[in-house]
Amino acid sequence: MLGWELPPFFAGGVGMVCYHLTKALCDHGVDVTYVMPFGPRMICSGYMKIMVADHLFPKLRFKLKEVETLIGAYTTPESYGEDYQKYLASLSSKDRSKSLYGPNVFQEAQLFARKVRLIAFNEDFDVIHAHDHWTFPAAIAAKKASGKPLIVHVHITEFDKTGGTGVNQRVYDMEREGMHAADLVIVVSNFVKQRLMNNYGVPEEKIRVVHNAAEMMDETADHDASKIKETDKIVLFIGRITLQKGPDYFVEAARKVLEKDQNVKFIMAGTGDMLPRMIERVAEIGIANKFIFPGFVSRDEVAKLNKIADVFVMPSVSEPFGLVPLEAMWQETPAIISRQSGVSEVLNHVLKVDFWDVNDIAAKTLALLHYRSLHQQIKQHGALEVRNMTWEGPAQKCMDIYKELAGNR
Amino acid sequence: MVSVCFYFQVHQPFRLKKYSVFDIGNNSDYFDEEKNKEIIKKVAKKCYLPTNKLLLKLIKRHEGKFKVSFSISGVALEQFEKYAPEVLHSFRELAKTGQVEFLSETYHHSLSFLFDKQEFKQQVLMHKQKIKDLFDQEPKVFRNTELVYNNELANFVQGMGYNAILAEGADHILGWKSPNFIYTPKTAENMKLLLKNYKLSDDVAFRFSNKGWNEHPLTVEKYGRWISENNGNGHLINLFMDYETFGEHQWEDTGIFEFMEKLPEEILKHPDNDFVTVSEAAEKYPSVAELDIHNFMSWADVERDLSAWLGNSLQNSAAQELYKIGTIVKKTGDPALLSDWRKLTTSDHFYYMCIKWFSDGDVHKYFNPYDTPYEGFITFMNVLNDIIIRVRELQKQKQSEDKKLTYAQTTQVEFSHNMISETPSLTLIDPEISLSKIE
Repeated sequence: MLGWELPPFFAGGVGMVCYHLTKALCDHGVDVTYVMPFGPRMICSGYMKIMVADHLFPKLRFKLKEVETLIGAYTTPESYGEDYQKYLASLSSKDRSKSLYGPNVFQEAQLFARKVRLIAFNEDFDVIHAHDHWTFPAAIAAKKASGKPLIVHVHITEFDKTGGTGVNQRVYDMEREGMHAADLVIVVSNFVKQRLMNNYGVPEEKIRVVHNAAEMMDETADHDASKIKETDKIVLFIGRITLQKGPDYFVEAARKVLEKDQNVKFIMAGTGDMLPRMIERVAEIGIANKFIFPGFVSRDEVAKLNKIADVFVMPSVSEPFGLVPLEAMWQETPAIISRQSGVSEVLNHVLKVDFWDVNDIAAKTLALLHYRSLHQQIKQHGALEVRNMTWEGPAQKCMDIYKELAGNR
Repeated sequence: MVSVCFYFQVHQPFRLKKYSVFDIGNNSDYFDEEKNKEIIKKVAKKCYLPTNKLLLKLIKRHEGKFKVSFSISGVALEQFEKYAPEVLHSFRELAKTGQVEFLSETYHHSLSFLFDKQEFKQQVLMHKQKIKDLFDQEPKVFRNTELVYNNELANFVQGMGYNAILAEGADHILGWKSPNFIYTPKTAENMKLLLKNYKLSDDVAFRFSNKGWNEHPLTVEKYGRWISENNGNGHLINLFMDYETFGEHQWEDTGIFEFMEKLPEEILKHPDNDFVTVSEAAEKYPSVAELDIHNFMSWADVERDLSAWLGNSLQNSAAQELYKIGTIVKKTGDPALLSDWRKLTTSDHFYYMCIKWFSDGDVHKYFNPYDTPYEGFITFMNVLNDIIIRVRELQKQKQSEDKKLTYAQTTQVEFSHNMISETPSLTLIDPEISLSKIE
């Protein structure tokens, strides 16, 4: 398994999925050698991670292989450049010529691949399962070295991240190469499947849809009866504040809601390149006093926010899956989610909207805030629905896919 | 002797259009004219017209030996008048043969008996008048919406002068008894109770084209044999079903029309068999026993109860809020308002809010104009909120005209019930305040 950082060092949804999936696979008796990229960003945490991993997984089934790299699951060519400069700056001047990492992300991905190739030579395994694109060159190398079948698992594509404009050609090429080199491609939704068929030329019969499950959340997040709640109701957005997540639609919908009901506060949690613009925008349209921007929030804070919110909104423009509403539902907060998301394929007890339809987002928000029985019903059934979405299902589907491939050999 | 009694239900609701919170107070145009028209025209073409034509042919061919009964909701009749007068014409042709009986029901295909008996009575009388106007018949037999039935209802409609009533032959009320006899409701000794033989009815209505059914394909010979087998242990086979079975639920290519065309002849082959209308059945056969049915039952879903319409808190609160304002809507004396309100009593609106997704849920989904039951609820409640605004405005007008009005206060308290909390600037249910604020 070529995955990403595991909790508590995860960076976003992909790491979370890797963790839950791997754990469920181990529970079902699959032996997993987990190749985890780690870099100097997590200073001196190496052995700690192993300790963490040790108690998170059944020891006999799980083997952790760490590979040093500057790349993370959400690295972009630009962010890599910045990280690389920071790294260089941390070195003494004479060490700079002996950098451990590639000067750009594509070269670094090749360096990473070379290290993984060595592991592939030495380890015993039946299939290679690689998550999202920076691992794809490494996965191809491992396939060549071992002759074992390759599955690439696509959580998100360059098109989703960029909203379709400014797709990086080299990133796209890397994704495409991985998908075509793979024996089978796992995608997290039909939404992604369509994307792969339309934009990457992957034949339908090569694609398997494995929807994510809801993760187990800490149920004991205390109910923070904050001051806000005394007078106002809370509508919540959590996510990276980037084009992909549709924060601008959230703001416009908020404006519509406030036209009808002044006693509502909107929390937009997270950071991202669009945050400054969003802050400007709410000031511009005179609703700044109704908005709270807490910035980056920790796992605990996410749980707390979900707990105190009355409505959760995910207005994503393009969401391959979308785990955040599941966390809200887990905390018994009704969710409004974009139809342009993978998660909307598996959820019944939510309200669905088109991300661009700010009237509809506002109308449904108001309905949830004002129709008590609706709020109650969706809250109860939604919580039940996510509690029934365990990782057993996805793990079983992956195992079937492993068997399908291993059986062909 | 076995008599076969066909009763077909014909109903189409006035479906609501997408009506958002931003429409409340701004427009009172609730019904999706275009969609309703489209559906009526589609079903007319696939079902009503060809099946009426077939029945007319069969009635003529069998010279008084083949007969059927219909219950057509007032809202369906109204839509035929509006969108497909040729359908109405073909029903009139059937009525003229003298072999077709029309039943009484609530004009709006409503569950009003459960909430407001006076309203129920008015809707039944409205429907009775409509049937008289259109078909020149005075119905003697009553069937309640979705065959919802209990002792109390039997007693109530006996009081309205009916002599027979229909119900589901549900296992849980019959036990070892057979639906192929006539019974007497415990609380209405002059009434006859006709029970649906759900096995034989559903063989046609639901299973006819089901290839997974071990009796598939259902031939006329086989079905005729199943019916004739009841000679000696039953008087009457009540085949009650939605009329849309023909051509709409079971498509033409399933062979349903050919089946129906050959069926009368096959059944009449047996000299002891005949066809009866519901009134004839009630006259012809004596009651064999009393039936005590305390809890409401219906013909829907596997539960045969009210849970398809009133099974969750959305449905219950929507229905309660609706019926709560019935009296004040009537007091306004505004016919357009009352007509809109009554169209909301149609049971389908509550059916759309059903969240029994599994097992029966697929049937619900098929008939649901909304993506989810939640959207059905939101739309319904938004419309209801607009109706409340109209009530208030009319009340205000009246108030300024003459007498003092006490309703303004009472409604305000009543409708705060369905909100998350009672904050002053809420728009919904208490719309005046915040709407004026926006300006």
